[in-house]
Amino acid sequence: MSTVLRTLRNLRRIGFKDFGHQMQNIGDTKVGTLIGVDRFGNKYYENMEEELPLRTRWVDYKVNWPEFQPDQIEPGWHAWISYMVDTPPTGDKILQPGQRTWEIPEHRPNPTFSRAAFKTYSTTRPKYSAWTPVAAPR
Amino acid sequence: MLPMVRPAVSGALCVRPRLASCLPRASPIAALSTSSVKSATALERQSSSGRSLTASGKVRKEVPLPSQEKKEGAMQYVLTTLDQVTNWARQSSLWPMTFGLACCAVEMMHLSTPRYDQDRLGIIFRASPRQSDVMIVAGTLTNKMAPALRQVYDQMPDPRWVISMGSCANGGGYYHYSYSVVRGCDRIVPVDVYVPGCPPTSEALMYGIFQLQKKMRHTRITRMWYRR
Repeated sequence: MSTVLRTLRNLRRIGFKDFGHQMQNIGDTKVGTLIGVDRFGNKYYENMEEELPLRTRWVDYKVNWPEFQPDQIEPGWHAWISYMVDTPPTGDKILQPGQRTWEIPEHRPNPTFSRAAFKTYSTTRPKYSAWTPVAAPR
Repeated sequence: MLPMVRPAVSGALCVRPRLASCLPRASPIAALSTSSVKSATALERQSSSGRSLTASGKVRKEVPLPSQEKKEGAMQYVLTTLDQVTNWARQSSLWPMTFGLACCAVEMMHLSTPRYDQDRLGIIFRASPRQSDVMIVAGTLTNKMAPALRQVYDQMPDPRWVISMGSCANGGGYYHYSYSVVRGCDRIVPVDVYVPGCPPTSEALMYGIFQLQKKMRHTRITRMWYRR
């Protein structure tokens, strides 16, 4: 819940450009330190002092409203933004992407409702086959 | 991690270097391995000219999505704006018909409680199918309940969507081999979004709703009407 005074105070601190960007995407004004940018291009912010609990970490998506989705957040950053870990992936070697040989080089968001979406298919031969019934003329 | 561990191990087992030297085959174990590399990108093949190939060996063609197609002409611009207004209205007041059948319904109820607070998304549960847009099938659909589900779906006004929530509604789940359970509610009604899980968390259901909103946003209503 934001008040008018808080909004004006944050507007003075972040400037008009970021104000418009945040009101369009987040719907609130927030001031924080930039923690890092993931491979997809999302920016992650933190403000542990002034924000309410569970609102202290937030993401500024690369794509604008309404096309951003939470699956665009990378797994390590997802752990950080969901308060599963304390250190961001930039400071934790285990959480860093690209360390393992089996990892794909870029982050792929959920392909649902795109051409890359999963479609079921059968690899087994059908056990029965349909026939076209032929009726003898009477 | 391994190089850090090794000095301590070789100090404890000092027999091992001597054993390895008297066995000629002990060291090139990696060369004996016949399994090929199976990384996640191994499926994406490259042709000789550097273009990526599909799994069947054809040259990969990227076709733009309907949502990525460019607008041409004044009429397209007008109709796109009309579609955007309609889609915005549809996706921001989504009234679900609750079809809570089993334990998934508990998670569906959690979506309406203050932590996940579906009212901020404009989602209000309606008890009547005639006032609702989307049906959330939450739980095991039995053979006895199936005619009622279909009747409720038929009573909903167009446009209508269906979210199948949980393993049991998706494909029978735990009760797939039961004599009295429908193996997936898509045998009864057409389903837009499948939410996996047993039961799915409230976040998972909310993510499924976001996916449905994505589908609504990319629906071309008046543009398809104009094309006909």
